[in-house]
Amino acid sequence: MKFALYTGCVARGATKELMISTMKAARDLGIDFVEMKSAACCGAGVLSEQSPILADALNARTIAQAAKQDLDMITICSTCQGNLKKSECKLDSDAEYRDKINYVLKDGGHQYVSGKTKIKHFANILAAPEGLKLLKEKLKRPLTGLKVAAFYGCYVLRPSELSDFEDPDNPTGLEDIFSALGATPVFYDGRTKCCGFPIVMMNKEASHKMAGNALVDAIESGADVVVTGCPLCHLSLDSYQPEIDQLRQKGYSIPILHLPQLVALALGHSPRELDMHKHIVSVKELEAKLS
Amino acid sequence: MIKHDVVIVGSGLAGMRAALELCKDHDVAILSKVYPSRSHSGAAQGGIAAALGNSGDDSWQEHMFDTVKGGDYLGDQDAIEEYCKAAPRVIYELEHMGCIFSRTPEGKIAQRSFGGHSKPRACFAADRTGHSILHALHEQLLKNSKSIKIYSEWYMHSLISDGSRCAGVVVSDVRTGAMETMHAKAVIFCTGGYGRVFKITSNAFASTADGVIAAFNAGVPLEDPEFVQYHPSGLWRQGILFSEAARGEGGTLLNGDGKRFMETYAPTRMELAPRDIVSRAEQSEINEGRGIDGKDFVHLDLTHLGEAKIMERLPQIRQLGIDFIGVDCVKDLLPIQPTAHYSMGGIPTDINGQVILNHGDGKATPMEGYFAAGECACVSVHGANRLGTNSLLEAVVFGERAGRAALEYLKTAGFAPINESQEKTKVLNQVEEIYQSDGSESYNEVRTEMKETMTSLCGVYRNEENLKECISAVKDLQSRFKKGKVTDKGKLFNTELYEIMELGNMLKMAEIIATSALQRKESRGGHSRTDFPKRDDDNFLHHSLVYKNGEELEIKKRPVTITKYKPVERTY
Amino acid sequence: MSVIKIKRFNPEKRKDSYFQEFNVDLKPGTTLLDALNEIKWEQDGSLTYRMSCRSAICGSCGVKANGHATLACQKQAENLLDKNDVITVEPLGNMPVIKDLVTDFKQFWEKVDQVKPFLKNEQAPPEKERNQSPEQFKLIDDSSTCIMCGACYSDCNVLEVDDKFLGPAALAKAQRFVGDSRDEDTLERVKELSEPGGIWDCTHCGECVERCPKPAQPFYRIKEIMTVALEKGVHNNNGARHALSFTKSIKNSGLLNENTLPVESMGFTNIKGLLELVPVGLRMLLKGKVPPIIHKPCDELNDVKRIFKELDQ
Repeated sequence: MKFALYTGCVARGATKELMISTMKAARDLGIDFVEMKSAACCGAGVLSEQSPILADALNARTIAQAAKQDLDMITICSTCQGNLKKSECKLDSDAEYRDKINYVLKDGGHQYVSGKTKIKHFANILAAPEGLKLLKEKLKRPLTGLKVAAFYGCYVLRPSELSDFEDPDNPTGLEDIFSALGATPVFYDGRTKCCGFPIVMMNKEASHKMAGNALVDAIESGADVVVTGCPLCHLSLDSYQPEIDQLRQKGYSIPILHLPQLVALALGHSPRELDMHKHIVSVKELEAKLS
Repeated sequence: MIKHDVVIVGSGLAGMRAALELCKDHDVAILSKVYPSRSHSGAAQGGIAAALGNSGDDSWQEHMFDTVKGGDYLGDQDAIEEYCKAAPRVIYELEHMGCIFSRTPEGKIAQRSFGGHSKPRACFAADRTGHSILHALHEQLLKNSKSIKIYSEWYMHSLISDGSRCAGVVVSDVRTGAMETMHAKAVIFCTGGYGRVFKITSNAFASTADGVIAAFNAGVPLEDPEFVQYHPSGLWRQGILFSEAARGEGGTLLNGDGKRFMETYAPTRMELAPRDIVSRAEQSEINEGRGIDGKDFVHLDLTHLGEAKIMERLPQIRQLGIDFIGVDCVKDLLPIQPTAHYSMGGIPTDINGQVILNHGDGKATPMEGYFAAGECACVSVHGANRLGTNSLLEAVVFGERAGRAALEYLKTAGFAPINESQEKTKVLNQVEEIYQSDGSESYNEVRTEMKETMTSLCGVYRNEENLKECISAVKDLQSRFKKGKVTDKGKLFNTELYEIMELGNMLKMAEIIATSALQRKESRGGHSRTDFPKRDDDNFLHHSLVYKNGEELEIKKRPVTITKYKPVERTY
Repeated sequence: MSVIKIKRFNPEKRKDSYFQEFNVDLKPGTTLLDALNEIKWEQDGSLTYRMSCRSAICGSCGVKANGHATLACQKQAENLLDKNDVITVEPLGNMPVIKDLVTDFKQFWEKVDQVKPFLKNEQAPPEKERNQSPEQFKLIDDSSTCIMCGACYSDCNVLEVDDKFLGPAALAKAQRFVGDSRDEDTLERVKELSEPGGIWDCTHCGECVERCPKPAQPFYRIKEIMTVALEKGVHNNNGARHALSFTKSIKNSGLLNENTLPVESMGFTNIKGLLELVPVGLRMLLKGKVPPIIHKPCDELNDVKRIFKELDQ
């Protein structure tokens, strides 16, 4: 399996551990990722606040770059995934718009062609039957006894017509992965909700309450660890965790892992190799549970 | 006791338009058993008629002639003239208020063809025109909230009157169950229709005859109740509406043989003949075994319109088909049947919305301080059959006129005296009767049987035998109703109680419709008698007025006002 | 037989809410509303909910089915059955419950009121209609399909934690006028909508898009207001500064600069806001969890810059 890897900005910046663990997990699984180094930011749904067409043009360019290499695209961030798909959908459903954007792309040597490149989140590759089979085959350290709660990230679920999960209101893809790794999935209401990150600069209190509600829910449902497919959710749930009142009041804390970290752990890597010590919330208890 | 200068019952297009007319000078209450923006006007899809001439030449005279002919010459032509003349102005006013309309490439209000209209004069907002106007008026209501108090989710029980002057209404707050009298100098009824007496209907659950029966119980006659419109394109079995705009945009009707059967019935206008004619054609095809697979439906074919046009002009219809029957009209045929849609009859009013008690010696006697507009009223502009897009127009034009008439009346009128406890006791006794009856009859069965009876015996085609059977069955149901069993005796948001009271109203309305249908021994517009298949101008070119006479119904006549167009044979 | 499990609440009889199960034989073509009616009319007359048009236009019958807001009349019941043949029905969220499935819309309507939901145009109207091109109409076509059913409000993730948020329905209604070529108050509107509790408090969760039974889809309308607000120069708030900083960063490097974004979002003169960034910044710094100090652009940056230039940004 060979894919063009769209890393997204955050995996190159504040959550480099995501990139490190993704590459390790992919190598172990025999998946070949070609990093898209000249791709631009997906816009994160923020660029389009100012200029929808600019966001769509940059995303069309990105998708065209993968198409040029005859590769499907993999994302490792729910937000990137959602925004690329949204642009793809707009381009595919409006020929006039597509022509307009292709006219702009032409001078850079790019052309967007509908349907040529599939855009998938890494999680959806792993949660597909072949992916689960592969995980089971390569499994080195089954995560037996570990109770893992998924946190999906809005953009891979909504709008549902752009989601690759079978039932976006009640998805099981991440949980299927956890089971394949030998862990016990924990189901809780908050797993499909918003982490609050997009408004952390505008309404910090509300943002933290959203993260807090989800984490309290996960903890009280018995989870040892929360695993997310979105580095922005990770920032909200991990980096800001010490500031979240609901957790402080109850004396709770819970480690947050990126999905590729959990996968790489089960494939035999040590937490240190996966830069888990860089997380704000300590993974010491988690390590103890694993050993 | 609650006091307002004027109380408007019903918050659809007519009620809200009336409120806007009054709110600058008076303290207005507008009362609705649903929230105003949930009123059934919002379900109107296809358009609102006005001879704007934005899609080719048109004139109010042509609009008037089409309306007179469409109503099979039973409409009052003085009223129709004023109504068609006013149409362009009221549409422009709506537009200025902010109402959205689909547009021509030049930016004017777009207009399309509709059944029975000889010119494309239906102004529209895609296929949600009623919704668009309803929300525009609702916005104006919110803008004027200082002088308009909205009583949302309040139920009106009865009209307070001494027989000649109106003094208010008895109402309940659905949420708390508290009963109140609303004392008012003037009352305007805009309570809509009563399609819910039929099994197959496009009407909302709220369209239950509360207003017309309250008027009737207060001694007001009901005019032309036998004229009920069956809309040709109700979703099979459900009755949910697929707008006539679907045919206006080029949709065709096919029978079980795949034939465009309208060729047989209206060769010139085809699918765009008036609704009574198209519905009868469908029913005849079905009755003669040419429904789809011999069943009780025919097909509406939009597949040749293409996805782009459907998405621009009829997006809601497409979604309704997908949601309710799993049919995407872009690719497949929609199963439809006639559905009870609109009541041409109602509370008799003059051209200003003033309610008229009788017309003895050619002189109209009004009930002072009492006005009505919209579907609950009968002016009559629709005569024996309403043309599509004329009802939204009626609601706006006569809502405004009733508001103005009330405004004029309020210049001199004060509060009429009322006996609060007596008025409340009457209604409380009714409620108590329901609570105490503790019988064995199921209200649901009574309701279901009423609806089935009315659809099968008093539907598109009628005859003496069926109508007699219908009346007797309805009377039987009325007595079974008195022995009904109630489960919820609480005060808080007791929807069961209101449904029971609505059923009581509908049972009376069903009797009135069928009784008036029995006496009209002719076929005219929406009233079609197989035993009297011809229109009979010698004996029936008049309005029916049904009065309450104790427990009996008494039927009187009122002549039709004919000014410009003498009745001639109606063909399309 | 299928089971409809309904959350019941009647404070006249009992203080708390509870679930009650009803067995219903769901024939094909039965909507969830039909199923509720069957229960009310044949099993328990006290079951309470709102309904009217039963054709997805009046907006009365919003409920939660299997945890998500929907119009009861718009959904085929059999499509809602879970693997145990059960449909769970609850009242809409983010509103107080009055009885069973009936909720109190008071706050919902108050927020609609707050956005001044009516056309503002003080000019004397022309004799005929005000002209509006089909393209201009298209800008308000979607928002004007809103039926005020409250489904978006019910499932809004922000409202769950902050009831000061105007919420998706009121903001979609606001776009109906912000986008209307006939409205004269655009700048004033977007200024007010940029205040706390307005457009920039939307968290992009997309729940409102998912629950909306019509094309109104509030989140997209909120973004349309944001675009207008930015265009009109309403920049003095964190949301706008965040968007501008984001765009600037991509323009300069093709990628997001995580070092400048938080500071620029808060605004250089916003001392309180900047101080709020210190704890999380320090925590991350101490863990070595920081983006490179020198922000590295994407390859082929010139092409990105060219696209920005061609699209006039």
